Amino acid sequence: MDVKLERINKNFGAVQVLKDIDLVFPSRKFVTLLGPSGCGKTTLLRMIAGLEPVTAGAIRFGDRVINELAPRDRNIAMVFQSYALYPQMTVRRNLGYGLRVRKTPQAEMDAAVERVAGILEISHLLDRKPGQLSGGQRQRVALGRAMVRQPDIFLMDEPLSNLDAKLRVTMRAELRRFHLDLGATTIYVTHDQLEAMTMSDMIAVMHGGIVQQFGSPGDVYSRPANLFVAGFIGSPPMNFVTGAVAASNGQAAFKSPDFTLELANGSAGGAQAREVVLGVRPQDLTLVQNPETAPVRGRVWVVELLGSEKLVEVMLGDRRRLTVQVRAETPVSVDDEVGVGFDPQRIHLFDAKSGIALRS
Amino acid sequence: MTRNEFWGHTRRLVSYAVLCAVTFLVCFPLVWAVSTSLKPKSEIFSTPPTLVPHTVTLENYKALITGRPQYFQSGDQQVTSGTTPAQFFMRWFVNSMIVTLGSTLISIVISTLAAYSLTRFRYWGRTVVPYFSLLGYMVPSIIFVFPLFLVMVQLDLTDSLLSLVLGYVCITLPFCMWLMWAFMRSIPIEIEEAALIDGASRLQVFWQVVLPTALPGIIAAAIFSMIVSWNDYLFGRVFLNSLDNLTLTVGVMLFFEGTHVDWGLLMAASVLMTVPMAILFMALQRHLVAGFGAGAVKG
Repeated sequence: MDVKLERINKNFGAVQVLKDIDLVFPSRKFVTLLGPSGCGKTTLLRMIAGLEPVTAGAIRFGDRVINELAPRDRNIAMVFQSYALYPQMTVRRNLGYGLRVRKTPQAEMDAAVERVAGILEISHLLDRKPGQLSGGQRQRVALGRAMVRQPDIFLMDEPLSNLDAKLRVTMRAELRRFHLDLGATTIYVTHDQLEAMTMSDMIAVMHGGIVQQFGSPGDVYSRPANLFVAGFIGSPPMNFVTGAVAASNGQAAFKSPDFTLELANGSAGGAQAREVVLGVRPQDLTLVQNPETAPVRGRVWVVELLGSEKLVEVMLGDRRRLTVQVRAETPVSVDDEVGVGFDPQRIHLFDAKSGIALRS
Repeated sequence: MTRNEFWGHTRRLVSYAVLCAVTFLVCFPLVWAVSTSLKPKSEIFSTPPTLVPHTVTLENYKALITGRPQYFQSGDQQVTSGTTPAQFFMRWFVNSMIVTLGSTLISIVISTLAAYSLTRFRYWGRTVVPYFSLLGYMVPSIIFVFPLFLVMVQLDLTDSLLSLVLGYVCITLPFCMWLMWAFMRSIPIEIEEAALIDGASRLQVFWQVVLPTALPGIIAAAIFSMIVSWNDYLFGRVFLNSLDNLTLTVGVMLFFEGTHVDWGLLMAASVLMTVPMAILFMALQRHLVAGFGAGAVKG
């Protein structure tokens, strides 16, 4: 079932936390709400769950407006960041609670609980209480409680953030697999871009109560709609240089105090003589052997080894630095004079005032 | 033995000695009461005093429980005492039970609902009420006795067990409410939301999720309330006067009245008085142990 948000607004007192949100979560897709803390993503999820009233706008499940529907009538399931297991109930009762309050016959309930416990490999824990489980096991129980009722829509509020790094990677893959098997619409909230990129069919990047960009992970990464998305997505973060676009010899060029860069045809998008911000990912920059021929020159300020890669910070002018990601075996050390090579196809230009991407 | 070992042993020895001394101080009166209650009258004042009775008798307990008239020696004649406190003992015991359970029940119901409302709903004053309520408990209860007595006179409730129930609710409710408020605050709201999404109604959430989670808090508040009500003397002394309506604490004091004090009977009454509270503690103490809410949210 698809979920449509139409001009959703949310105020807490005088504070507006969500502004005119329009989103469509397509049926059976895994959609992530991604953004820094305080961007309104959890509030939005809670509104879809029915735990938070809608100030203005409409939420539709399919064609039906469900703004006023109680959570229990929405046929949704939610996994909370804190897991929110019922502490005095055993795992079996935790899993079955949703079926029990809906007066499911005992035999059917037992079968459903056993089935889910089997899938999640927690069958041996069924008679324990949440207090006797590890973090990862509790996480699975919380997931199982959501799966057992076979809901139309799965809501997940940062379900992996309390797990250690290694378990998180495993669970990421498992969550993705469960989503494919269950075939429910999943709405996933996280501030972790890696989770969003690896698991989602679509990502809605949120900031300041506004959806900044809604698109596939590839889209959001390679065609960021604005400066916020460009800076938020990608690790290490994108380099930004402020400058202006000017024409020289009939060719558009980006000019900053430190360097001038010829732009590929049309990439300036008619930004002539405007203040712009040039963005380029560290992965899209190269170190050039002979600095004299490179358009951009600088001195190596610091080198960080990541394992298979190295991050090289190149100091351009007084304070401006560019981060360049190169193979670990690249011979480069601190204080070397280096040139930085750009691929004109892989740079992003943004309007300095509005922050919106400039495209032809 | 090394120097360290020596000091280790010495320290253990000293701490055990101190613990033994404290235990003795606490237990001796109780042991003495039990011992006296089991002695025949002739042995109670024997010199040297005996800690373990030479002759063990259950006469005192029998007298209290069956409530039959006592005989005592007057000159060389055995005479009945007429109406004695011992005859009323079981009646007072039941009275004490009624007021204790009644006031505790009312206190717990009100304080649990109040605490739930204070922690879950938004309205004016919800942040200050618990503190004022605690402040109310800090005022010595003797200050409330006479105003409350006047209220009971107005309500025409004096010399009734109901007056005592209401009086005890007045002194136990503020603290119970504060305790339950602190406890309810520690119950994560997410488990209620999870239950709402799972399909429970508001009432089901309260009954099936909130109350079981709050049980240790409820037990703590109930124990507090029962101890206060069971052990109270002041309210009973002021509110009640007919022999039939007295509670244990007030009634047992009557054993001192007149010229004759039957220590054996008095001690047996004291022992019987402590039994319910002792049972209560033994039955419920494991629920008081912390760790109740562990596992609800990440631990």
